[in-house]
Amino acid sequence: MFSPIQFVFIAAIVLYLLDSIWEVGSIFNPNRFSKRLADYFIIAGLSIHCAFLIIVSAQSGTLPISTLFESSTFYLSLIVLLSVILKFLYRLQSLTPFVMPIVTGFSIAAVTLVKNDLALTANLKTFWLFAHIIPIFLGYASFTVSFIFSIMYLTMERQLKKKSFGPLFDSLPSLETLDALMWKTITLGFPLLTIGLVSGTVWAKTTNILGLLWYLDPKVLLGSLTWLIYAAILHLRLGASFHGTRVAIVTIVGFVIVIFTFIGPFLMGHKHGYDTGSVILEQEIIAPEAPGMIKVES
Amino acid sequence: MNLHTLGLNHDSAPVEVREKLAFSPSSVPIALSSFAQSFPSSETVILSTCNRVEIYATSLDDSLSKDTLLDFFSAFHGLPKEEFADHMYHHQGINAVRHLFFVASSLNSGVLGETQIISQVKEAYQTATTAETTGSILNQLFQRSLTVAKDVHTKTAIGKGNISVSTVAVDLAIKIFKDFSEKTMFIIGAGEMCELVLKHLVERGAKTAIVANRNFDKAKSLAEEYEGKAINYEKLDEYLPQADIIISSTASPRHVVNVEHIKNAIKARRGNPMLLIDIAFPRDIDPEISKIDNVYLYDINDLNKVANSNAEERKKDIDKCVTIIDKEVAQYMAWVEELKIGPAISQLRNHFHEIGEQELERLRPKLGDIANDEWEHIVHSMQRTLNKILHKPAKVGKEKAKNGGGFQYVETIKHLFGIQHKKEDSRK
Repeated sequence: MFSPIQFVFIAAIVLYLLDSIWEVGSIFNPNRFSKRLADYFIIAGLSIHCAFLIIVSAQSGTLPISTLFESSTFYLSLIVLLSVILKFLYRLQSLTPFVMPIVTGFSIAAVTLVKNDLALTANLKTFWLFAHIIPIFLGYASFTVSFIFSIMYLTMERQLKKKSFGPLFDSLPSLETLDALMWKTITLGFPLLTIGLVSGTVWAKTTNILGLLWYLDPKVLLGSLTWLIYAAILHLRLGASFHGTRVAIVTIVGFVIVIFTFIGPFLMGHKHGYDTGSVILEQEIIAPEAPGMIKVES
Repeated sequence: MNLHTLGLNHDSAPVEVREKLAFSPSSVPIALSSFAQSFPSSETVILSTCNRVEIYATSLDDSLSKDTLLDFFSAFHGLPKEEFADHMYHHQGINAVRHLFFVASSLNSGVLGETQIISQVKEAYQTATTAETTGSILNQLFQRSLTVAKDVHTKTAIGKGNISVSTVAVDLAIKIFKDFSEKTMFIIGAGEMCELVLKHLVERGAKTAIVANRNFDKAKSLAEEYEGKAINYEKLDEYLPQADIIISSTASPRHVVNVEHIKNAIKARRGNPMLLIDIAFPRDIDPEISKIDNVYLYDINDLNKVANSNAEERKKDIDKCVTIIDKEVAQYMAWVEELKIGPAISQLRNHFHEIGEQELERLRPKLGDIANDEWEHIVHSMQRTLNKILHKPAKVGKEKAKNGGGFQYVETIKHLFGIQHKKEDSRK
């Protein structure tokens, strides 16, 4: 059922699952679930996850995005990485209890639901692949984390307004902190998304990998919609009385679009450069790369 | 065990009596050394706070009792015993140990879970070590009491959540704002409670305050105290948009801050959140205000509710604390017994060998002329017999000491062979 390499990822999921239990448990019963043990779980899980991605990359000779399964795990690893960085940078005890259950859920979905027969058909070793995929994925990961901050914000907001203070209330940081972090992750994700979209556009135009009507590719359209939503958030927050709660809600909407952009076209049967069948056979035919063109276009 | 504690606290005695028996920080060392003079082979610690006065004492002999301790208080403070004896409690042995652990863990305090008592116990102990009135028994007891207190506070929720209105208000402020250094406090009215909340916020780093009061002079004096700015009461609207945290407690029968005020203010602030704390009764701030986005309003009822529920939460953990304490008490008692079991066993051994030697002495003349070798055999045989008999009780004694119950064991053995009796005889 699973290929041997997938078991490496499953090992990471087991650690993520344990981490989720410990992270959430430490909020409600700090004596029983130690935060230190949770830290070990997340670090071990992330290490195995990275090892998995490195093996996959080494095998295919390119970024771990040749299949939807691979790109999902790549995206999830960036979320965990970003959360761990933020956790230790800002001494945020309460971020990972929100992130890890979601990541664990997505990871399990990636292993069990994602069919492995779609593979990337484009030339996998061009500069444009890196210029397009890395910023886009980093941007998605930042938006995901900012989505989690907005959930934390709304949780906190609700408790403060309703005056009912549960165990979460004690462990969450202040509204102001959450607002700032939400803002920081959006402003980190937005330029990355912009770079990714621009390089994708250039790539599509120069190599024709998406055909002549590349701009009608659903993934391209949804990506642009995502860009517009986050641009609107930036604009509103900088310009008008648009704070806290409203930013949080729009951020959640933005994230839903991100997820839909990520997997939606696949579910609907659109490929965005992926197709069933052999990668090697098709890549030369569909995407003959003119080396000189990159320089001209960039 | 020969450990006594005699004392009184906020429950057992009215403040007038407590005052009379209290030791000032400077008189504690004097009291300790005078106690040491009266009872030379003793160890003492005196704990004197505004809520309690307690003496902990242990002695190698039997010179200490409730009466001798009462006499000490009476003599030191120059008060007849009858004036205070009824208000005092006395604990001995394991109960005295348990009492100190309860006190240090704040289970005996007026405010459950308060942490001040830990430092007070620490100080009392340090004063006694400086005065050189502690020995191994009290050193171990007090060091352990501090560990227990720390354990109780970290492993239970006994000290969690604030239980006074003013600190609860600050707790809420912390959950809205990251830090207070850039924030503006706005005080309406100049009540005592307002000042208390302001004081806590200043302790947390708040720097800017605006004070509005009907009586401008009063506003000015409060503002000056906190390097703030006093404004005319009529200019309230004008200054509200600057306010991040508003604390209101006026005697006004009508709302002082209404929905329009805050709607305008929040617009001017471009949605930056505001926290309003209404400590007045009847209320100063229109409760409808809480419906405005990014505005958080709490009145005195809300604060009281949080304070009370925190207090309830603390009470829920008392059982947990008692379990921790009882375990530690048992461990301490085991330590004391281990301390005792060594001498007790050598006493037992000496006792048996003394009897053996007496019997040998009696036997020697009766045997007449025997070879030295033969006599040696008899002596060895006697010693081996005694050692074999003693082996088991000594082994069990050491085990008992480790697992608790050694104290009773030692007492039983002493009783069984009349050892205690003999020891006292020899001292006399």
